[in-house]
Amino acid sequence: MSTSLNLDKDHLTACISCGLCLPHCPTYQTTQDESRSPRGRISLMRGVEDGLMPLSKEVIESLDTCVQCLGCETACPSGVRYGELIGQTREVLNSHRKVSFRLRAGLWILLHMRVLLFGSRVLAVLQRLKLVPNKALPVPSRIPLRGVRYVQNDDPEVILFTGCVMDVWLSQVHEAALSVLDSIGVRYMISGNQVGCCGALHSHAGFRSTANKQALEVISALPSDLPILVDSAGCGAVLKEYGSLLGTQEARIFSSRVYDIHEWLINDSKWRESLPARRPGNKKVIVQDPCHLRHVQKAHTSVRELLTPFVECLELDDEGLCCGAGGAFSVDQPELAKEIRDKKLKSIQRAGRHLVVSANPGCMIHLESAGVEILHPIQVVAEYIGGKEDHE
Amino acid sequence: MNRSRGNDQLFQELCRDIGTNRVHRDGASQLLYSRDGSAFPGGIPGVVCFPETTQHVVDCIKAANRHDRSFVPRGAGTGLAGGAVPCDAPLVISTTKMNSILEVNYEKRFAWVGPGVVNLDLTKSLTGTGFHFAPDPSSQQSCTIGGNVANNSGGPHCLAYGVTNAHILAIEVVLPDGTLVQLGDVDGHASGYDLRGVFVGGEGTLGIATRIAVKLTPDPPEIRTLLLDFMDVADAAKTVSAIIASGIVPAAIEMMDKRIVNVVEEFVKVGYPTDAAAVLIIEVDGLPEGVKIEVERIQSISLEHGARSVRVASSDEEREQIWKGRKSAFGAVAQIQPGYYLHDTVIPRTKLVEVLEAVYEIANRYELIVMNVFHAGDGNLHPLLVFDPQEPGVMERVLVAGEEIVQVSLDAGGVLSGEHGIGLEKKRFMEKLFSEEDLAAQKLLKDAFDPDGRANPFKVLPSGASCSEVNHLNQLPDGAWV
Repeated sequence: MSTSLNLDKDHLTACISCGLCLPHCPTYQTTQDESRSPRGRISLMRGVEDGLMPLSKEVIESLDTCVQCLGCETACPSGVRYGELIGQTREVLNSHRKVSFRLRAGLWILLHMRVLLFGSRVLAVLQRLKLVPNKALPVPSRIPLRGVRYVQNDDPEVILFTGCVMDVWLSQVHEAALSVLDSIGVRYMISGNQVGCCGALHSHAGFRSTANKQALEVISALPSDLPILVDSAGCGAVLKEYGSLLGTQEARIFSSRVYDIHEWLINDSKWRESLPARRPGNKKVIVQDPCHLRHVQKAHTSVRELLTPFVECLELDDEGLCCGAGGAFSVDQPELAKEIRDKKLKSIQRAGRHLVVSANPGCMIHLESAGVEILHPIQVVAEYIGGKEDHE
Repeated sequence: MNRSRGNDQLFQELCRDIGTNRVHRDGASQLLYSRDGSAFPGGIPGVVCFPETTQHVVDCIKAANRHDRSFVPRGAGTGLAGGAVPCDAPLVISTTKMNSILEVNYEKRFAWVGPGVVNLDLTKSLTGTGFHFAPDPSSQQSCTIGGNVANNSGGPHCLAYGVTNAHILAIEVVLPDGTLVQLGDVDGHASGYDLRGVFVGGEGTLGIATRIAVKLTPDPPEIRTLLLDFMDVADAAKTVSAIIASGIVPAAIEMMDKRIVNVVEEFVKVGYPTDAAAVLIIEVDGLPEGVKIEVERIQSISLEHGARSVRVASSDEEREQIWKGRKSAFGAVAQIQPGYYLHDTVIPRTKLVEVLEAVYEIANRYELIVMNVFHAGDGNLHPLLVFDPQEPGVMERVLVAGEEIVQVSLDAGGVLSGEHGIGLEKKRFMEKLFSEEDLAAQKLLKDAFDPDGRANPFKVLPSGASCSEVNHLNQLPDGAWV
């Protein structure tokens, strides 16, 4: 079967196979196999494009097992645009092979907020009755029983993007974010349930037309020129990419309004004025960078900047290697996701017994289900900045 | 012989002996393991094996012997001379899964490691112990210690610390007939000929290393990294000679010319001067007092020889970024053109100025872009000819220019390879450097280890026969990428 992946030839030839990406690829690091490496995947894409390779089972497996963390893009001295290559490839692959039921079902639910809400409430009850074994599903161990009614301000200055899954499963993170905004006197509104899913996971899994549809919906649901703050690294990354996904002026303007919440706060004067003169204690936290914050948004240093006035930030020794969550990756490739996570767990262990923080729901859930004590960085900030007596 | 039927039998036996999941022969694996980091389009492996133990390697080699096949050892595939490119449908034996650090002995300052341990991973695992592994090839974050042994790899800090050979105490080797031997001794008590020294740099043509005892080097108490820039390449080259002539042997002296500095700066953004004709990175280490004196002397020598400015890195982070730039240089060239061909000749340091001039002249004459980034302290050049392989006729010019660069280096009293090895790519130049008698003697050595010619055939030594599947660089097949 000869198939074209419709890849940009210049992007393909830009890889000279030097191998400097290998240590930054989570799947190569767990398998030591070229077919699980960025340069290997690019060689196979090239093989397919040049008609030297059919889209065989092994080629598809190689391309399907990519987490798309884009650690290789950060590491590549020649600036190979791997993300574009694999994104385009995934889209073509989706029309050539069966997508697993788990993945299809998961992505479908995200687009149907009522089903998601109802299912989550049922799951939350079952969890309380101990009828769902822990770690059986890629969900938080304690899903909130009921939705949160957020208080919103009149005449808002910013919008907090609440998304879909995160709002239902990890609403405590949104509450923490809003409490931080409250305590420094920033007026806000939330995007809320009417806006729904940003399409990040669909885009990641190669369903670009669905992602584009979601992008159009989100853009039209959030007019105005208010900054849009995001506390999920994966959602933030795709919202910032709407401009290039849709290629319209409207989308580009929308994307320019999007900020990771940490990134926005550290540049806000009200935030800076509210900082304590000295660190209120000697607590240490381990910072685990979500790949979408580090390699896509490149806003990971802002997490440290935000936390440092309150706690000491400890770095992992794996130079930002992915934890294996990878959007829907842990649903689609559970075995490999677990092996990648095992490496991360060892790295966390080497950093000591401390709380871990990660600014993305996928990473939080994936690591929590392995028994890691984990919070969103904004939750840690909220603990300190809420309790005024701590730093006055 | 019917290769495909033979392949079936061989494949089944390998699956039986080392496990199905460790043996691949699908088209994707064959494509991926057909080449390394070099410009060679590659042959086709018969079977790709991923041994995890010494016994697996013995089993692979015995299977190769039973089926009259050759084998090619392979590390991370970052080699630049085609050393891991398969010829004649061999078993490709990837040692990447043999990546455990097996024993660390701080008292005797050595460690036994698997051949698949990544060079930088070893040093990282020693963080805080006061030791490191000294050889630091630019690809150290990816390349394996097995590959370092095969190529007797160098690296910036080998100027003061010596190349890989000086850091290997003992090697457990599976010989090409499947026999397991140990060469060398961790206590340095090996008697008789130094076969360990012969094996290091053997490019996988003498057997496969399955365990390697490496020396641990104490971390220097003080390190200073200097970034010097020059408006004339010749001034930079003269400075290098002058520093060494003054009696100082820095830990490293690296040179990068304007073109390479520009692509590297685009990647690391550490503030390399992009308008300079050349920069030198000089590192001095040792006791703090000595380092201070050496830094001052290097500053004054370089200013006397035309340095525009001397910057001393003020933090570990700045040092690391400067080195990251240097070590990413090869990988960054695709910013300019998607193909490169480089040489690795070593010339006497005193001839740097004239040889560099000749290299630029040759590239100009053939209308090619040349980028120079190299270990200036020990005269190990890396002229990179970068080009677009799609451009008609460019390969002919690249090859002729490459040959002239080699000739200029040899005429200056140099040798073919400093650290990348001969592999497939440079064996055509071996006769320029060695006489017939020299080559015959080297062949006797190879035969002593590998009488049947099974270990990594068609590499290093020029021979009448050539690798039938590897298309020579100047006969690229349609659609091949370089």
